Formats: sequence, C-alpha cells, structure tokens
Amino acid sequence: MRNQARKRSVAVPVLSSTLRMLMKNPASWLIIGLTALFTAKYPESFLSVTNLESILKGFVVTSMLSVGPTLVVLMGSIDLSYMGIWMFGGALVWLLFPYLGMASIFIYPVFGLAVGLFNGIVHVKTKIPSFILTLAVTAVLAYSTTVIAYVIYGVLTLAVPEYRFLTGSLIPHLPTNFLLALPVLVLSLFFMNFMKLGTYLCAIGSNEEGAELAGINVKKYKVLGFAVSGFLTGLGSIALFAYLGARAPVTLDLNELVRGLAAIVLGGTPLVGGVGGPHRTLFGALAYVLIYNGLMLTGIDPNHFKLYIGLTLLVAVWITSRGLKGVLIS
Amino acid sequence: MAGIHLSREWLKRSLTTITPITATIVLIIALRALNPFFLTTHESVVTLVYGMSWFLIAACGLTSVILMGSFDFSIPSVLKLSAMLCGVFYLQLGFLVIPLAVAVSLFFGFINGILLAKFNIPSFMATLATTWVIEGLAQIISGGYTRIVQDRAFWAISITFIPAKFGLPSIFYWAIALWTVGIFITLVTPFGRAVYGIGGNLTGVRLAGMNITRVRVLVFMLSAFYASMAGILYAAQIQAAHMQIGVLDTIPLFASVVVGGTALIGGVGGIYRTLLGVIIIRWLDSGMSMFGIDYNVRMMVFGAVAIMMAIATIDRRRIKIMK
Amino acid sequence: MSSSDSPTLEVRNVSKTFDGVVRALDDVSMTVKENEIVSVVGENGAGKSTLMKILVGIHPPDAGEFYYEGVRVPFPRNPKDALKRGVSIVYQEKGVIPHLKVYQFLFLGLEERFTRLGRLQLERILGVAKEVLDELGVKCDITSYMYELPLSMQKMVEIVRAILAIRLEHGGAGADGVTPIIILDEPTAPLSLEERDELFSHLLELKKTSSFIFVSHIIPEVMEFSERIYVLRDGKLVAHHDLSKEKVTEEELFREIVGRESHYYLWSKYVYGKPEELKGRSIILSVKNLSKKGYYQDISFHLHKGECIGLFGPTGSGKSEIVKTIYGIIAPDSGTIVTNSKKAGSKDESHHRLRMGIGYFSGETGKELFMYWPIRKNISIVNMEKVAKKPIKIVSIINFKVERSLAEKVMKKLRIRAPSVETECYSLSGGSKQKVSVGKWLERSPEILVLEDPTIGIDVGSREDIYEVLFEMKKSGISMILVSDDPKEYAILCDRIIFTKDGKLQKIYVNEEFRKVMQL
Repeated sequence: MRNQARKRSVAVPVLSSTLRMLMKNPASWLIIGLTALFTAKYPESFLSVTNLESILKGFVVTSMLSVGPTLVVLMGSIDLSYMGIWMFGGALVWLLFPYLGMASIFIYPVFGLAVGLFNGIVHVKTKIPSFILTLAVTAVLAYSTTVIAYVIYGVLTLAVPEYRFLTGSLIPHLPTNFLLALPVLVLSLFFMNFMKLGTYLCAIGSNEEGAELAGINVKKYKVLGFAVSGFLTGLGSIALFAYLGARAPVTLDLNELVRGLAAIVLGGTPLVGGVGGPHRTLFGALAYVLIYNGLMLTGIDPNHFKLYIGLTLLVAVWITSRGLKGVLIS
Repeated sequence: MAGIHLSREWLKRSLTTITPITATIVLIIALRALNPFFLTTHESVVTLVYGMSWFLIAACGLTSVILMGSFDFSIPSVLKLSAMLCGVFYLQLGFLVIPLAVAVSLFFGFINGILLAKFNIPSFMATLATTWVIEGLAQIISGGYTRIVQDRAFWAISITFIPAKFGLPSIFYWAIALWTVGIFITLVTPFGRAVYGIGGNLTGVRLAGMNITRVRVLVFMLSAFYASMAGILYAAQIQAAHMQIGVLDTIPLFASVVVGGTALIGGVGGIYRTLLGVIIIRWLDSGMSMFGIDYNVRMMVFGAVAIMMAIATIDRRRIKIMK
Repeated sequence: MSSSDSPTLEVRNVSKTFDGVVRALDDVSMTVKENEIVSVVGENGAGKSTLMKILVGIHPPDAGEFYYEGVRVPFPRNPKDALKRGVSIVYQEKGVIPHLKVYQFLFLGLEERFTRLGRLQLERILGVAKEVLDELGVKCDITSYMYELPLSMQKMVEIVRAILAIRLEHGGAGADGVTPIIILDEPTAPLSLEERDELFSHLLELKKTSSFIFVSHIIPEVMEFSERIYVLRDGKLVAHHDLSKEKVTEEELFREIVGRESHYYLWSKYVYGKPEELKGRSIILSVKNLSKKGYYQDISFHLHKGECIGLFGPTGSGKSEIVKTIYGIIAPDSGTIVTNSKKAGSKDESHHRLRMGIGYFSGETGKELFMYWPIRKNISIVNMEKVAKKPIKIVSIINFKVERSLAEKVMKKLRIRAPSVETECYSLSGGSKQKVSVGKWLERSPEILVLEDPTIGIDVGSREDIYEVLFEMKKSGISMILVSDDPKEYAILCDRIIFTKDGKLQKIYVNEEFRKVMQL
C-alpha cells in the first residue's frame, strides 16, 4: 500500500513537469504546427502510408545519431564522433563478417564504446576542446572507411547482404529499424532518468566547479559521458545499418553531421548544458524530420534544401541561446 | 621555485617555434630525396606556389579568429561561395563580381560575429550554422555544377607572372601582401592588441574598457574577407569554381595554423607563424601525393597532426575548465 | 553517545605553511562542542579558510592533532574522510548547482545507498528528502529546480545537504548518534536582511541536532549568533571568547581582528578635505537613484573633483556591485550616472565609461592583468591613445618606442622590481603585479578611478608604495571611489566614507569622524 502511494506521488510530479517541459519547448510547437500545416495543405501526400513510413524512418536515423551525443551536450561539451562511429563501425562489421558471422554486428556497440572512451580520456587528460577532438575523430574514422572501401579493397559499398532481412518490415508498415531503435531510445532515457549519470552530467554542465566541490568525480563522469554516448551511438548504428540496406555509408556526407546537431538544438537542450536530455532530443529529431519532409512535399528544388535547413538551424540556435547572458563564451 | 617555473614555460614556448622549423627542414630533405626536382626547377616552385597561395590567405583569416579564442568553420564555404559568385555572375557583372563576393562574405562574417558577441552562441556552433546557409546559397547558384570563367582578364589577376619569364604568378604576391597586412593588423594596431587580449584574458579586456563586441564582429568579418579573397583568387587561378571544397577542408587549414605555433585557445602565436605552418602542411601534402597516398589518408594525417600539435601546445595550467 | 565533557571536535597546534614561505597557520587550536555555534573571525588572509580546508581534508596540515569525540584520529585526507569525522562544509559561493532539482541536489554524491543494481530508487530518495526537510524545518518543494528557490532557501538546502551527508556516512538519515559539524563559510554574504534573519532562526533550530562553525568577518552577526568566538590574525589565534562567560564589545573584537599597530596612519602628511572645502569643489560624478533588484536600491551620491569617497560595508552590502555598475560591468535596473554632463546609459559597457573618464582598478591581478604579456603591453592596454597614433586617417598604429618608454617611466616611478619592460607578468611577485596594475591607471589618469580591493593580499612595503601612488593621483586631481575590506585603507585614502548596508547608503562620515568611530 505504502509503495503504491509512493509510486503515485512520484508519477504525478513527473507527469506535470513533462507537460511543462513540452509547453516550453520549441520542438513541440514545431511538431504540432507543421503537422497541422501539412495535413491541411497536402492531406493526401502527407498522410499517406508511404510518407508516414518515411517520416518514421527519418526519425529513426536522426534520433539514433543524436540521443547519445545529447548526454555529452548536457555536460557542456559536444560530441561529433557519431558519424565516425557509424561509418567505421560498418566497415568493421564488413571486415569481421567472414570471421564472426552474424555476431559481427555486435561489434558496433563495442566499437562505439571504445571510441567514446577514447574521446573522454583524451579530452579530460589534455583539456583539448571537445568539438575539435570529436570532429577530428569523426574525420579520421570517416576517411579511414573511405580508404578501406575504395583504396584497400576497391569496392563501392561495404554491404553485408546477410543482414538485408533487417531492412524490411517484420510487422507490415512498421519498419524493422524502428524496432531496433526502440531499445536505444529506452536505454538513453534510462541512463538519463534512472541512474546517477543523468543527474551528474547535468550538474557538471550547470556548475562544474560546484559539482567538483560537491564531491563528484568530474573527470570520471566526463569520461563516462563520452563513453555512454559512443555506446548508444554504436548500438543505434545497428538500426541504421539496416536502414541503408545492410551497410553504412562509405563517404562522409556532411548533411548527416548537421542532422544530429539540429535534432539536439531543436529539441531544446542548450549547448552549454545543464538542462535537457535525450527525451527532448527525440522531439527535436521528429521536428527536424517533419521540416525535411515538408520541404520535399512542397516540391522545392532539392538544391535549395541546404539553405532552408541552414536557416532553420540558425534560427533554432538563436532561439535556444536566450538565457545565456553573462556566460563567458568564446 | 620561480626558476623551475620559468624553464618549463620556456621549453613549452620554444617547442612551438622549434617544431615548425625542424619540420620544415626535415620536409625539405625528405622531399628532395623523393623528387630531385623539388625546389630546383622553376616549374616545381610555381606548382608549389599555386598550391600554397590561396591556402595561405584563407589560413591567415582563420589564424586571426583562433587568436581571439574562437573558431570559424565557415571559411572554406565562404571561399567556395565567393568563387561561385565569380563563376556564375561574371558574364553579367564583369569585374563587379569581386566587390559583390566581398560584400556577401563580409555580411556573413558580420552575422558570425553578432551571433557570438550579442547572442552568446559558441563560435563553433554559430559558424557551423552560417556555413550551412552559405553552402545552401552556393548550391543554389551553382545548381551543383562547376562553373567556368571564360575571360582571360579575370584569370590575369592570379596568373600573371611577375617578372615575366622566371618570376612567380601574381597570386603569390597577393598572398604575401595579404599575409603582411594581416601581421601588421594583429601586431601593430590597437585592434590587434585587443584580439590577442580577448584570447588571452577575456575578463582583463573587459576591465580594461575595450569594446569586445566590436572587436569580435570585426575579426569574423576580417576572416570572411580573407576567405573571400582566397576564393576569388582561387577561381581566377584555376579558371573555374567548383562545389568540391567543403567544411572538412577546415581541417588542413586548422592544422596549418596550429602547426605554425598559434595556440588553440588563443592569445599566443600569430599570422606570421601561419606561413610556416602552411608550408609544412602543403609540402606534406605534396610529399604524400608523390607517394601516391590517397586524399582521404592525407586528410587523416592532417587531422592527427593538428590534434597532436594542439595537445602539445595547450598550456594546461592556464585553463581551469575546458568543455 | 559522546560524553558531555569531551568536545565533539578538537584540533590542537595546527600549523600550515605554503611553498615554504607563507605561514598560513601557526599553532592554532580550536574545539567545537555538541549543539553549539562557534565563530571563527579574521581578516582576509588571516588563516580562516586554510583552517577550514584542513578540517575538511582539502589540505593536510604540517603539524597538529585531531580529536574526534575525545579520541585522537588522523586528520581527514579528503572531504569524504571528513564526513566520517562528522565535518562538512557549505561554501560561500559556487556550491549550488542551479539546474538540478532540490531532491537531486540534496543527494548529489550520496546516491550509493539509494541505488539498487545501478538503478536509482527514486521513490526512496523523494521520501527521505521530504522527511529530512520536514524534520529540519525547511519548507520547500522538492521537485522545484534549485534556481527557482530564493537565495536563503538555497543556502538552507545546502546546509541540509551537508547534514545529510554526515548522517548517511554514519548510518542513516535519521538524527541518531551523530552530531554533525557544519562549517558555514561566509553564509550571509549574498543575503538580504530578512533572508539573513530567516537563516539564523533556522540555524538556531538546527543547533538542536548539529553544531556549526561560522566563518565570517561581519562582527555584529558573529556576536549575536555564536556562543564562542575564535579570532585569527596573520595565522595565529589571538583571542578566544566564550560569550556565556565574558562580555566583549564590538570594538574590542574589531581591534583584535585588525591589530592595533599599523604605521601607515602615522602619516600626518596626508591631508583630507574638510566638508566646507569639499563642497566648494566641482562635482565630477553624480549618481542618482541607482537601483538593481537584489543588490542595491536608490543609490545617490556626489563625487567632487580630487576627492576620494569610500563605500564601506560588509560583504553583501552592495558596495562592490555599485562600483562595478559605475564602471559599466554590471547594468542597473534604473538610475543615472552623470559625469561632466555626459550621461551613462544603462546599456553602456565599460568602453563607454572609459571614454567618459571613468577607470577601474581591481586588486585581483588574476583578472586584471594579462599574465603572459610583458609589462609594457599591460601598461599600454589602457593607454592606447598615448601609444598609438593615426598616421593615415583610418588606421592607428602602435609606436613601440613610445610604448616601451611609457612602461619604463611607470616602472621607475613605482619602483617595480623586474628585469625589463619585456618581462612577462606571471613571473612577478604579488606586490609587483599590483604595481603594474595600478601603474597603468596612473599613466591613464582618468578623471575618476574606481578602486576595488586595491591592496588585497600583498606585502606591507608594496602596499605603502601603492598608497603613495594613489595619493599622488589624488593630488593631481583624480577623483576616486574606494571599495575594500580593510577599514585602515578607508582611513588612509578617503575624504568621505559612506556606510553601506543591505544595498542602501546610510550615514556619511568625514575622514576624522570615521577614524573616531572605527577607533583607528
């Protein structure tokens, strides 16, 4: 009886604060607004099954690349290594398949974890700014993938046909990669809300000195933050592997790089950290996908996409920067 | 106590000077061994110069931003847009494309500066966002195609040889001139002092009563100006404008700044050092392609070099918190 | 559990020297009994914070003994260790993490006992949080964010957290068996009068289950709320008063803190303006109705040419914020600042003020100086007009020869001991750094110079040199506003001193009257 009463007393404040957060968030308004707009303007094409499926697929791609890095942003740092993990991990799967068979897909989370640990340890030990470090890591990994494919093996893709069954839909109209993505989403929310990690990362982002004074081992949790981010990205890359037809991309496409950042920013997690989290990024990912989808629906010249995405990013960054007054930024 | 402190400082400081010089000497020897014609024929020198000049100009712009403690991702994109504007609109506007390209670039530089100074958006994010808009514009006006400028007069800006037979192409002189102007601005003007100051101690600059907003905006505009010049001269040099340059070209640019000895967090180093860094990076590039090393591998090397040099020169005592 | 004879905590003969040079503590002994509030008072640099840091395990002492409940134990090696000894600290600032919820902050770092299989037991945490807050009489919503609470409530939550940490270390969240000793480091600094009263009434309640070490330099508070007072000066324990047994006056306490001797105000050569004479001089700065919510209200005063005014008051009186506003580092909510018919808008920043003729000198050289720059550059940074000319219309160029000779001039005048103007500032001694800092303003000669803690942490010799410089500046017609923690400084430099308290200006004294009141 007592446990039930306690559980209820937890649930109610959590629910109301979730509603509060949703109301304040730019992403939620975007989602509601855009959905209303598109349903009104292009009811047949927007609400068609194919379109909804593609929105779902897009959501999976965007969220898998951004929930992990969100944890790092909470600390006030940034993690751009998701592209590298996705690409090079795919190369590893391709390389290891002859030896490990179907189990080789599980190299992904292991590799992601390794990259994350590397990022964390180097950042903490050398104090090199995280955006430079993770950008360099992503670049090195991405270029290595290209080299492995084009130069060393002379192939155009690193596809592993045995995994192709993952691309389809086990349940009609529900893409499998969505099912593969769910555990990642759940895990990220778990890390955030049910473990010390989420609280500590917010603390470090909010007041790093204060967190140190409060007895938190800031160095350890910084490394942990990067490591978990890499791990989640690695795990999420399994879903992405499926999405592209059992392969990861072989050349670096910067559009994808922006996608991850856009989802985090649109979701409302400020780049200085302290508040927010993967739950917000999910909304940001959906908002981003809706924008992209809408652009396609309106039939604008694809050459113009970059511009509009860029403008959206700019506006999103501007909106979320409010409240940063007085913080010393470089 | 003071004695030990000083010598560690001194060691670190000389590291940033000794390393580039040593690297250059090593490179000369290595490249000579690989290609006996290296630096001995007029042709080889000209090739080198063509590869380095536009790069140096862009790197000077990046140096000034880094000196201030910020970062600018948009330089390759501004370069690309300026080149593309020349390529696309030369037919209609003739030489007026040049002021057009410069004006557009200055505008984006201004935006970058304002985003940082007034809206407190970290520079890497602000410039990344503007990069996307700039890339979008470049994409639109080019339609994805490479544009060729047909007019010899335009090419002449970059490829006129001075002196005529055994001299160097004009783009070289442009690069050296802009490099010199850059050194001048950063070392000899109060504005330059402020740039170094902001990189060294932001609070100190505020307490000293300097207009931080103005300096920040101007530096990003300066960087954009340099990028624009690099783009225009590059377009004149290769007689075309293409979409192949991208954000990731920031990596070799950044590498050349850091390898030259300018600190990542700012306040130390300078544009004069960037010349050496550019030489090292471009020669390294030449050397590697002589070996037939793939473009992707070369980029990886630059990334690794940049990181290592950045790590070696970060003065960990100065920074309490780094995100 | 502990016998009523032996105190809960006792340290004896604690000494600590830093870098083999600075004697931070010299043979200090102290006890804390159950359920009492003990104060440790002293000036900046007296050794208070060093002693506290030793108690919580941040520094090891060079000598001394530590007794917990009558038993000799080793000094704590780190803050967690200190929790085992029942000691915890609430810092003056930067202790609060604003974006955490109250229950998250309360348990920050203490979650081990509430984690099962890696999963946080939120229901238990919320439950215990509520229980403890209720028991200690702190009323707040545990699901609100820390930044949403008023400042005094934030302080209270910090204190509860400290108590909770100690209790958990000793077994459970309940009050049994352990008397936590909480060090409060200048807790009232950011609080208003009402908030301070609230805090103290809470502390008196909490005294029933804990003890407090109150570190402060605000004498009235210390006298009102503590039972015993330890006075530290220059690292030594100069006095210990048990207020239940003896009567002490504020002035006596003040003298013990400050020390009777001081040779600088034997300087009779320094003349201070008499009130009538001052009124005759022109008004160079006029501040009217300056207000900023939470910091100061309705500040109005005039500054005459060649006069030095001091804003005197405890930390938290608003004096620091007021002068920072005058220089433009902080923006006021309302009010005007006028100099010589130039009005300062509230949006203007420091570069405008500089042009208006207002300068700002802070003794905190870490912020003011560019450590990796040579002396020459540090001097010229506020003197650009003297050092840079415009040969062509648009561009101004720095003349390095002029810059060098300017710096040499300053070095000579202030007797700065350094090899040359090219020496980088990080290698200079504390006093020399301060001299470089003030030297640049000496060169600049702004009409009005704001001084904040101008001689903080430097040796007596350098201090006198700086006072000489400031006097010279005053003679040459520069007007000054002083904010400092050292009453002697006000007595030396200021013609008029305005008492500041809780963000409001109170009585104005002339130099003579001030000296009498302060018994200097």
